[in-house]
Amino acid sequence: MDCGSVRALINRFIDGELGYVETAEFQQHLDFCPDCSEELRELCELRGALAAWSGVRLAPPPGFADRVMAAVQRQPQPGSPRPLGEVVDGALARVDEVLGRVRLPHGRTIPVKNLLGWALAVVALVIGLGRRRGRDATQARTP
Amino acid sequence: MAPSNHQNWRLPPDPSRADLARAAAGDREAFRTIVERYGTMVYSVAYNVLGSHADAEDAAQDAFLRCYRSLPQYRSEASFSTWLFRLALTTAVDARRREGRQPEPVEMPEIVDQREASIGDHVDAATIVRALGDLPEDYRTPTVLRDLYGLPYQEIADLTGRPLGTVKVMVHRGRAALRLRLRAAGVRPAARANTAGVGHATDAVAGHEGGEA
Ligand SMILES: [Zn+2]
Repeated sequence: MDCGSVRALINRFIDGELGYVETAEFQQHLDFCPDCSEELRELCELRGALAAWSGVRLAPPPGFADRVMAAVQRQPQPGSPRPLGEVVDGALARVDEVLGRVRLPHGRTIPVKNLLGWALAVVALVIGLGRRRGRDATQARTP
Repeated sequence: MAPSNHQNWRLPPDPSRADLARAAAGDREAFRTIVERYGTMVYSVAYNVLGSHADAEDAAQDAFLRCYRSLPQYRSEASFSTWLFRLALTTAVDARRREGRQPEPVEMPEIVDQREASIGDHVDAATIVRALGDLPEDYRTPTVLRDLYGLPYQEIADLTGRPLGTVKVMVHRGRAALRLRLRAAGVRPAARANTAGVGHATDAVAGHEGGEA
């Protein structure tokens, strides 16, 4: 192996990705090449320092917990159902992303979510009317 | 994605099941104790991934909000610390630098315990922070995930949404750039004048990408 091949493999050596034969050839080169050995030593030192740095605890800025808790106050209770309006808006936004727009006979285009919104409104109206009729019937039966 | 080979990181002890249950049920005082216990861990991860105080605070806060919302889904198969650590990493990686923000000069973070700050025979904390701060963002995130937190390349690819080969090239280049920064900072005073070798190294790493990407 020459220096170029060794340098090309140095990261895979560090990551333990070299096979048995490659590792043997790699190490054989290091035994007589101070330049490549030096580079490997520096990279290992760097990785050691980075790993050590990952264990150094960094203090959050003063008042951090207070600001987190203020943001938490503005959140709904965890696990509680989201307000219906938010759910419907979210669903319509997804429909918009996925389906985009439809072309009307006159060549105009409108977002699919508008159609869906209208359809939902009609369904809500029908259900509402149905309920009211049901309630009227119940009331009519009570003396 | 357990924080695998970073035995250096001492995870805080888990809260009791009862405290977790109260926080999951929406008890804000119980949640506050979690924020106080894990604030340092979550902030440290965010700072190391993002490299700026402002971005780190935003991401750390966001991680705790995500934690608050998803506590009811937390199952105790993984330790809570590991679960929250993963959440903090994911949130920091997802955080995008705010639009139009000027690159800031590197700001030293405040180290909780100075006794932890001696991180190598030749390297001090300020040198590492500055070297990381000079890395292009594209190199910084995968290099931090790999060499600080020991994530496998495949998980880094999944987290960052980049192809595996690209992630490896970014880490290799990140290491090469960091090594040169450390040299420039005089980290190895005994190092021989070996500039030809340095040039070689960078070329070799860059040339390596063809085979892998
Ligand atoms: Zn060599």
